[in-house]
Amino acid sequence: MAVLVLVTVLPLLYLVVTSFTPLDLTSVGSLRWAGLTNYRQLAGDGRFWNSVWVQAQLSFWTVSLQMLTGFAIALLLNGRMRFLELVRSMFLVPMVLPPVVVALIWKILFTPDVSILDWMLGVLHLPQPAWLSDPGLALWAVIVADVWEWFPFVMLTLLAALQMLPSESLEAARLDGASRTQVLRYITIPLLKPAIVVAVLFRLIDSVKAFPHIFIMTGGGPGTATEVTNFYAYLQGFSYTYVGYSSAIIVVLLLATLLMSLGVLAVTGHEFDVE
Amino acid sequence: MNRRAAIVAATLLLLVVVLCPVLFIAQMSVRTGLEAFRMPPALVFTPTLQHYVDLVEGKFIRSLMNSTVTATSTTLLALLLGVPAAYAFSRSRFRAQGVVSLWTLVTRMAPPIAFGIPFFLIYKELGLIDTRTGLVVIYLTFNLSLVIWMMRAFFDGVPRSLEEAAYIDGAGVVTAFVRIALPLSAPGLATTAIFTFLLSWNDFFYSLLLTRSEALTAPVAIVNFMNYESWEWGKVAAAATMIMLPVVALSIAVRKYIVHGLTAGAVKG
Repeated sequence: MAVLVLVTVLPLLYLVVTSFTPLDLTSVGSLRWAGLTNYRQLAGDGRFWNSVWVQAQLSFWTVSLQMLTGFAIALLLNGRMRFLELVRSMFLVPMVLPPVVVALIWKILFTPDVSILDWMLGVLHLPQPAWLSDPGLALWAVIVADVWEWFPFVMLTLLAALQMLPSESLEAARLDGASRTQVLRYITIPLLKPAIVVAVLFRLIDSVKAFPHIFIMTGGGPGTATEVTNFYAYLQGFSYTYVGYSSAIIVVLLLATLLMSLGVLAVTGHEFDVE
Repeated sequence: MNRRAAIVAATLLLLVVVLCPVLFIAQMSVRTGLEAFRMPPALVFTPTLQHYVDLVEGKFIRSLMNSTVTATSTTLLALLLGVPAAYAFSRSRFRAQGVVSLWTLVTRMAPPIAFGIPFFLIYKELGLIDTRTGLVVIYLTFNLSLVIWMMRAFFDGVPRSLEEAAYIDGAGVVTAFVRIALPLSAPGLATTAIFTFLLSWNDFFYSLLLTRSEALTAPVAIVNFMNYESWEWGKVAAAATMIMLPVVALSIAVRKYIVHGLTAGAVKG
């Protein structure tokens, strides 16, 4: 217990302290109280607000697309066939790969000349854009990589919930003449709602952590087109050495994450308290 | 019958699409530099292990060693500290449980940089930058709560009556834990160990921040191959294949429990 406090609680407190200082790695004695200076600066920092907007787009698209693909594949794999049970775990591969490998795979796939994707687009006489250096497309490249990596999480969560559905109500509805779409619309989805909410919240919170993809695929660019808040904080702290300012950005980000975590608790609440 | 065939066909097709990117990078790693650029890719070619030989003879092997040593040490340390704690949580009913659950969630939710900044500053003072020790300690931030979370669920599954019988026979708490609860949750222990190993092995951010050359781990070492004027595509592909192989192998080993570990906190275990 003491170790857990030592390695997690204390560092976070220290982070909050540095966020009130103008700490700069290149200047000695910059660890001094400066009140809310960093936060005031943050409020008027256009690049920060841009990063929030980029993050919002990234989160919105990755979470929606992961929910759609994850749910569709979960429905497909939710059968009693032996074959389906065998292939289920193979769909999990993208999620367990080291994130750096995921980022490299997609960096290569989105680079013209070496990419088979690029070649296929050419064969089909479709445009072959330079994804990663086009400000309008770079974020989409990151979104594709992220959706590929994390749709299995949604699939897994929803599959677990699907298999716990009471089969009686589904069968009763079928006997009463409901079509498959109607069963899905009026029974399955409402019953899955808690699992859906949990999956959305978890993916939403994790989407804020996006780092390796952006670091490797685009470096935040072109310009600031893929610079999410997390990455902007990294640049401020470790490229420009303004650690104090970077801490303030992270504290704001943490508060936002905390709010979302409370959302998770509100949904799963009692399950966390008593087993 | 038709419906079944359609489901099988659709599933297979999807599986190919999903796994294609992984296979693409794996095949790239055994092609010579020029082969990799030839489009359409030749289906028949002479595979080469040259990129792997280059990696093993170069500095990459040391990074791979660093990854192995840090991930193993973290796993052992997290188990040593976390397993008894998990047992205590499972067997007692005190009120702090809710707080621990919440805190597990917070450490899982926090972006890594939130821990990265304070640890970086402290390590600079302590001279722990670019050391394996430093990495092991920071990996505890996420692994310790994972161990507690996972092991508690496994211990909950061990019937209490067995330990009570041992108590009646005069065994102490430690004996009951070591001789009864622990052996009975051995599969859980193995699974937890594999998960903590994988999480540390997969880490990119902390290693990027806290190591330079001496303690550099494999995922960050790869990135250095792309910093030179021309990308060494084959080498990058080979290195990526090397670090993903153990991950895929270990995941297959624990696939039965994969839901539990990967969705930690999301679904009730």
